[in-house]
Amino acid sequence: MIQRYSLQQRLGLVLSLLLMLVWIGAAWMTVIKTRAEMNRVFDSALQETAQRILPLVVVELIGRDQLDVTQRSAAIREHQEFLTYLVRDERGRILLLSHDADLNTFPSWQSVGFSQSASHRFYNEEALEGSIRLTIAEPLAYRQSLVRQIQTGFWTPLLIFFPISLLIVYVAVRLNFLPLRRFRERLALRGPQDLSSISIEDSPAEILPMVETINGLLKRLSEAFDAERHFAAHAAHEIRTPLAGAIAQAQRLQLESIDVAVRRRALDIETTLKRLTRLSERLMQLARVEGGSLRKDYPSDLKFVASILIDELKRTFGEGLIILEAPTEPLLSDIDPDVFAILLRNLIENALRHGDINSPCHVLLTPDGQLIVTNHGLVVPKADLDRLVNRFERLGDNKEGSGLGLAIVYSISERLDLKLNLSSPIPGQLEGFQVSLSLPVDRRDRA
Amino acid sequence: MLIEDDSVLGAAVRDQLTSDGQSVDWVQRLDEATRALDAASFDLILLDLMLPDGRGIPFLKRFRGRNEPIPVIIMTALDQISERIEGLNAGADDYLVKPFDLTELSARIGSVGRRYAGNPNPSLTHGSLIIDLAAKTVCRDNKYISLTAREWVLFETFIAKPKQLFSKHQLEEKLYAFDQDIESNTIEVHISRIRKKLGADIINTERGLGYRLGSA
Repeated sequence: MIQRYSLQQRLGLVLSLLLMLVWIGAAWMTVIKTRAEMNRVFDSALQETAQRILPLVVVELIGRDQLDVTQRSAAIREHQEFLTYLVRDERGRILLLSHDADLNTFPSWQSVGFSQSASHRFYNEEALEGSIRLTIAEPLAYRQSLVRQIQTGFWTPLLIFFPISLLIVYVAVRLNFLPLRRFRERLALRGPQDLSSISIEDSPAEILPMVETINGLLKRLSEAFDAERHFAAHAAHEIRTPLAGAIAQAQRLQLESIDVAVRRRALDIETTLKRLTRLSERLMQLARVEGGSLRKDYPSDLKFVASILIDELKRTFGEGLIILEAPTEPLLSDIDPDVFAILLRNLIENALRHGDINSPCHVLLTPDGQLIVTNHGLVVPKADLDRLVNRFERLGDNKEGSGLGLAIVYSISERLDLKLNLSSPIPGQLEGFQVSLSLPVDRRDRA
Repeated sequence: MLIEDDSVLGAAVRDQLTSDGQSVDWVQRLDEATRALDAASFDLILLDLMLPDGRGIPFLKRFRGRNEPIPVIIMTALDQISERIEGLNAGADDYLVKPFDLTELSARIGSVGRRYAGNPNPSLTHGSLIIDLAAKTVCRDNKYISLTAREWVLFETFIAKPKQLFSKHQLEEKLYAFDQDIESNTIEVHISRIRKKLGADIINTERGLGYRLGSA
């Protein structure tokens, strides 16, 4: 089975991913901007601190007696020194250090301005024409810690609001796909025989052209089926009526003529015309079952149809030659009753024409929709059984039948997807022929 | 009344029924049939379902709305069983599918006629007479008595309604289609012949009123 994608799921997924990307992008840009701003502020503070300290350092160094001494400033009270500084001369000699300054931290003098190592941010300032050079250092760990706090401040709400926004996306997509779901449900409720137009009352603009196209196709199909039925009815009338007239006149000729030869000839004409009638009837049935719709959108009682048909066939074949066994309650099915009558007529006529003339044909209809037609007679070889469902196939030299009866039954079973089974001999017996079919029946009324 | 638009079939059916002793009025359109029904009464209607000016089933439904107890046999060339069922539901008493054997037509007419007469049983006895309505035979003391077609039609009319008085006009209607000339003493001639074959008392004459079935 081909796995089809869901437009709703795809749209929901895409929207959710896009939303997530937008959230992440926005958060990321905010973090970057905030970090840049924070760095600017910190750099400004670093620079300001250096520029405040430098004049004091200059004053202190000018007042020294010895300039080549490295002095470390003492802390007024115990504290962790966040900013450390280093003062050098133009030759790089260290003149003054803050109390916690680590010499290994400070790089060699480059120029006035900012620089950075892996662990610290530096600001260099100089005075007295570069003879006194101040470098102030700030550990980056603090800035990094702040950035992490800012990032956490953005990501944590994201973890809460992102699922909420996914849920909102899901609900919004589902709500907006409601007309499509309704359309799908309307289609699912329709049976395959329902050719009525689909309602367009709440169809959104995007699927309206599709609905209108489908309605147009349904209308054409319905008209085609109606035209086929109409044509079949008229074709039957146009063929059968002149045949009926010719047969009736041949019969009158036999009754009115005293000439034996004329009566014999009239009988031959009547026989041939009746054969032509049967053949044309079979051909029309074949055209009907291969071209038209075989189901109705309402159920019919197949038991009633079978009883009407068998009463009619008894007129031709005689009382006692067809035995019907059917359930007491109606046997409802959406098979077109005319199609069922064609199917059953062909099975019974086949049974009576080719079976034992002295024993009746049995027709069994079961409540679960099994149709079994059985006749006594010679066994039909398996190879012949298989080919009898082809058109114009007859058994042996028998030229009486049209060769279309079982082909029509087979065509109906194929189109309706019925399980057709031909058996000879009859299961459990040594002779005879049996055809069985599983008809689609409505079991609701029998529950 | 025969309502059939096909000339060849209609002629054959008319000839068959006439040889059975029936009086047949043949029309080929529904409007002609309606006018004929308004002008005369019929014992049975043979109705084709596809006619040049309309379909037989709506005509049948309108006819049944008139509440006239006249049997109708539909003749259909339509091969769909649903059409036959529709015809029976519309009020047809029986149907024949074209092409049909003329002998079956005669048998169906007899069967429906007997049902409408209230006695579907084809075999009757009347005194010493044994009458088979389906086979159209009369027997006394194991000997068959031959009646002509016209004689049979008259005798069947009496035997179907034994207590009814029939006027001469009613009997004439049984024998002749509207397009045939009626001779003034034809009924008297046929009744005289029936009396000779079946017994003088088989039909009683009620002077100035008509005829009624007598004893055998």
